[in-house]
This record gives sequence, structure tokens and C-alpha cells, in this order.
Amino acid sequence: MSLPEINPNPERKNKPIKRAYYWRRYLIGLGLFVLATLLGYLVRTFFAPTNIIMIYLLCVTVSAVLGGLGPSIMVSILSVLAFDFFFITPYLTFAVDDTQYIFTFIALLLVGMIISYLTSRVRQQTEAARLRERETAALYALGRDLAISGDLLSYIEAIVKRIKETLGHDVIMFLPDTQSDGKLKAYAGDAETGIDQNELDAAGWSFQYQKKAGHGTETFSNAKARYLPLVTVRGAVGVMALIAPGTMGELSIEQERLLRAYTDLVAVSIEGIQLSDELRNVQVLKATEKLQTALLNAISHDLRTPLVSVIGTLSSLQEEGIGLDDAAKKNLIQVAREEADRLNHLISNLLDESRIEAGAITLSRQSSEVQDLVGAALEQLGSRVSTRMINIDVPSETPFISVDFGLIVQTLANILDNALKYSPPDSPIEIRARQISQEVHIEIADHGVGIPEQDLPHVFSKFYRIKRPDNVAGTGLGLSISKGIVEVHGGHIKAENGQDGGTIIRLILPVDAPNAKTGVKNNG
Amino acid sequence: MGNTKVLVVDDEASIRRFLRVTLTSQTYTVFEAASGKEALSRVAEDKPDIVVLDLSLPDIDGIEVTRLLREWTQKPIIILSVRGAENDKIAALDAGADDYLTKPFGVGELLARLRAALRRAEKTSGDPVFISGSLKVDLSRRLVTVAGNEVPLTPNEYGLLRVLVTHAGKVLTHRHLLHEVWGAEYGDEFHMLHVNISNLRRKVEPDPARPQLILTEPGVGYRLKISE
Repeated sequence: MSLPEINPNPERKNKPIKRAYYWRRYLIGLGLFVLATLLGYLVRTFFAPTNIIMIYLLCVTVSAVLGGLGPSIMVSILSVLAFDFFFITPYLTFAVDDTQYIFTFIALLLVGMIISYLTSRVRQQTEAARLRERETAALYALGRDLAISGDLLSYIEAIVKRIKETLGHDVIMFLPDTQSDGKLKAYAGDAETGIDQNELDAAGWSFQYQKKAGHGTETFSNAKARYLPLVTVRGAVGVMALIAPGTMGELSIEQERLLRAYTDLVAVSIEGIQLSDELRNVQVLKATEKLQTALLNAISHDLRTPLVSVIGTLSSLQEEGIGLDDAAKKNLIQVAREEADRLNHLISNLLDESRIEAGAITLSRQSSEVQDLVGAALEQLGSRVSTRMINIDVPSETPFISVDFGLIVQTLANILDNALKYSPPDSPIEIRARQISQEVHIEIADHGVGIPEQDLPHVFSKFYRIKRPDNVAGTGLGLSISKGIVEVHGGHIKAENGQDGGTIIRLILPVDAPNAKTGVKNNG
Repeated sequence: MGNTKVLVVDDEASIRRFLRVTLTSQTYTVFEAASGKEALSRVAEDKPDIVVLDLSLPDIDGIEVTRLLREWTQKPIIILSVRGAENDKIAALDAGADDYLTKPFGVGELLARLRAALRRAEKTSGDPVFISGSLKVDLSRRLVTVAGNEVPLTPNEYGLLRVLVTHAGKVLTHRHLLHEVWGAEYGDEFHMLHVNISNLRRKVEPDPARPQLILTEPGVGYRLKISE
């Protein structure tokens, strides 16, 4: 019997399993037929020949269910022949005495064929349904990968893994690289090593013309991989390369269909991710703009306010018509001077802040004594500290720290300035220094109202100011700059609330270890 | 003081104007220069008693101007610079400038620096005895007393104090002090200098945590305060 399903095509190396399966289906049919014939032979003395036909019909039906169309047709034909041979007189010949049995044979053959056809269709439909279910499950899995991964790179990773699992092939994704004028860039895969210029050209062609290319197609058929364009309504988003499809055998029709479904889904998904990335960038840009506007508003207010006083004072001094006495003039000038100082302080802080943010601060570190740093900071604050009680507790054995003297003085002055502003004028301020293992802790503690617990983590943020009942002038930059400076030194800064109220700002800076001995040795 | 001549070197016309008005009202005679080259010729022609020199000039920078002036004159030079330009300040001081002011500055501060620099320049014969507050240093007898009590100093501490006293009121850079006391090969041993200053302060300052005599010029050096 010729079996047209078996095609001895040398390329189909993966078919032996399938061929054996075909053979088995026919063997089952044959077995069933032999069984039916034996059974009919055993009961032939009790049953009329027409009832034996029923055994054969049953056999045809079972063959159709188990083996499909081919085996069941085979069984139908064999059944007619065997029925004639064994059960119709004269026995053991194909001759027929009673010509009416010719009709029986034809009917048996037709019924057998019809049963075969109907049963096999049911089978095919079941098979198709199962395939569709598998396909749906595979696509669903890929869709879920998208939901889980979220960003492009991990999604591509998931696609590569998923296709390797379901189709057994390595996959490389080619996406246009935004950094190099849309030139295709290969993503993912352990198989990335095999990409040469020819492969890249094939991928590029496929991307440009939105057509398949590479192995098994008409274009670039010498390429090692098959290139499938990922196309959406907006155009191609990339190319998916199926590595070496020839070595593993051609894909089956279902696999081809699954692959098509994959490319469609992947194309749409990648486009979706790219669009949402773009959207996010736009949103970030908008938020940044909003923040900048807010900052600009805040800064321009802070910049203009002192100028209003300065210009006002100068113009009133300039006007000859206004009769100002000396005391009034002195008072006005005092205000203008303070405001100008405030403006200078603000501009310095803004410059520092931008230098820190731009990473433009270069430290000129030198071994510095904590007491000297504190003294210079107090000196910088000038008259503002001379009226306050300041308790300095810096033990003489406190080690030196290697810091940029000017910057740390600036930091201490900023923190002291806050302590002065946010505590009652008659309350003392404490400055303490302690060595704790290889670090020096410098604490500046005031006896003011302290910082609300929920504000503690934010006090070092830029432009962050705690809402206070009394309106204290400031920009909210001082502590942010201090943090920047301390961190550039490899240290930390912390804000705490004191046990008996008030704020403690703690600077933690590393001890200047390598040079510590030199000074002592040469001393005196 | 009516004939004390000041040369103001700054490329900003508004700053020159502000300084001229202020200094003229204080009976100084004011000359102006807007560039480094102009400054050099002005010093030669007008022979000012003191120069107020901005560091950032359009042609030759202030450090170079200082160096060129120091080749032939010892007239005091006060540097004007912006905050953050510590290295330029140090370079100008090492090149021979006497003092510096950070812009923006108050007039009171400027006048005080001018007076101090002029007084240092006038002092021709070295007076061996220096007195500031409770500190008395007699260089001829190598004797240092605080409130009348002799203070024992190590040779390096005394060396430091001697350099500070001979340049009293002037800003001395770290490197300058190290050169004078320890020698050129110790030019980078800042730590050693700080340790000795710290020890010296503990011996001569009434409150070492808030020095009144040996003042720190942040990032630049030290200055011995002279009593006004």
C-alpha cells in the first residue's frame, strides 16, 4: 500500500518520529481488522452474515477514531474483501453465489468510507482546536512577559527565551539604535557572536523593505539566519532573526503560523513600550520645567526683595525734597546694608549649589584642626555670634581632618547661621567635637523649637524650608549645600532632635590618618 | 595723610568710581587704571604709596602685575578678588602682595587694610618689641610673655611667632610660613604647620577656640593681628 504522507525528503531529518507514527496508525487498523475477522469467524455459525458486517463497521469506526482517514479507508476495503472471502459462499474464494451480496459489498464500502470521513473530520477539528489552544497559550505567555518586564531590554530577553522554548531556535532582535541615527543594533542572545556584515545587511534590508530576508527566502538566502520584519501600522519597529533555521529542520506549518503570530505581537508590544517611554520622557520634561519655573519664581522673589530695600533706601537718600534727619538716614542705610549682605549670601549659595550639582567642586584638601575650622566659621559670622553664648567643646586630642578648609568653614557657618536663626536670642549654642573610631563627629546644637519629626529626612533637600510661625529669612539652600560639601569629602551629615528640644546637626568626617604622625614628630 | 596716593586698578568703571569717591572723602589722592599695562605705567609715573589691585584684568592678570611690580618696588599691594578664587589669592600673596579683600567688601574693612599696610610700610627701623593685647614679643631677647608671664615655646613655635611678628598684620600663606621656619623642602607639610599653630595658640591666645591674635585666613594662611 502506498503511503503518500511519507515523503522521503532528505531535508526532513526530524521526520522519523512522524513516519513511525504513521506506520503505527496503519498497524493498529490492520490489527483491528484481523481481530474483527477472527471474531466474525468464531460467531459465523450463530450470526447471519449481515450481522457480521456490523462487526466490520465497528472496526472501521474504531480505526477512524484511533488512526484517522487513511487507516480507516484501508480497513473498509479490507473488510469488504475479507467479508466476501470468509463469510460469503462459496467460502475462501472471492466468487459470489448470490449476486445480491454485490450490493451488500458496495453498501459496506460506502458506509465504511463515510464513517471514515466523518470521524476523521471530527479528529481534525479536535486537533485544530488543540493547536489553537497551544498557540493561544504561547501568545498569552508572551503577552504576560510584556506585562511583567515593563522595559524594553527585559522584554526582549523574555521574547528570546520564550521563542527558544516553543520553537527551539535562537533569536536575535535587531532594533534601531536612537544613539546612532537609527542604525540597527543587535540585542540579547548567547548566539550574538555569529553576526557578520552580511547578516547585518540582511537585517537592514528586511527592516527597510519590511519583507522577510535571509535563509529560506529569495533575498540574502546565504545568510545564516532568517530575518522577519516586525511591522506595525506605523512602520517597521525592528527585525527578529531566527538563527540557523536549516540545521534544526524546517518549521512545521503550525510553527510558521505561531511565528507569524509572535512577530505581530512582538512588533505591537515593542512599539507600545517605545511609545510609553517617549510619553514618560515627555512627562519628566514637563515636571522638570514645572520645577524650574517654581524655582525661578522662588529665587527671583528672594533676589528682588533685598533689592527693593536697597533701591528704596538709595532713592530716598537721593531725593532732596524729603527731609530726613540723621537718625532716620542711618536707620535706612543700616537696612540697605543688611539687605545687600543678604543678597550677597544668597548669590554665593546659589553659585555653590550649582557648582556642587555640576560636580565642579575641586577640593584642595589640607590637614585641618577642628578648633581652627570652628574658630574661622565663628569669625565669618562676625557680630552675629558675639552677642550669643556659644559653648565650644573641642578636646585638644581631637584628631585633624583632611578637608578643604574654606568649604568646611562655609558649611559650619551655614549650620551655625541656621542655629542662630531658629533658636531664641538668649539661648546658648553648643559646638562639640568627638572622635568615634576613624571619624570625627562635629555637632552643632541649638535650643530652639527643633525640627518636626516628619521634616527631619527632608531638611537637606534643596529649597526645603520648614513651616515656622515666625517668618525667618532664608532660601532653604544652606543645608542642601552643606550636605553636598560634606559628601564630596566622603562624610555624612545628619539632623537630629536633642533630648531636651532643639536641633542637632551632626557632621561626620573621616580622620586624616596618613599625615597624623608627621606633624607630631616634627613638632618642636 | 593728605598726600597719600592710592592707585586703584580695576576694569569695572563703577567700582573705580565708588572707590575714588570713598577714598577721596578720606583725604587720599586717587589715581585710576583700567588694565594691567596701564597699572604698571601708572605706578612708574604717579608713584603711588599703595596699590589696590583687582586680580581679574582684561590684559595681564593681577598675579603677573604683582610679580612685575615686585621686581622694582616694595610699595604695599592689596588684592581684590572674588570668593572661591583662593588659589589666585595665594598666588598673588606668594608673588608679594600684602593683603587681600574679597569682593564684595565694606568700606570700613578696606580703610582698615589700607591703614595697616601703610603703617607697616612706614615702619623703617625694625622695632624689636611687638605688643598686641596681652601678648608681648621681644625679638632682641627672644622673650615671649602673656600678661607678664613668660611663655616657654619650642624652637619651631618661636620661629613661627617671629615670622608672624616681623610681618605683623600681613597675610602669610601656609607655604611662605613653612619656607621661612622649616625651609623650602617642607613647603607641603601643611599638617605640621597647623599642629604648630595650634600649639602656639594654646600658649598665647586667651581663648584658643576663638583666636584673637593669630587669625586664620581660611584656605590661605595666617595673620598676626596688630592692635589698632
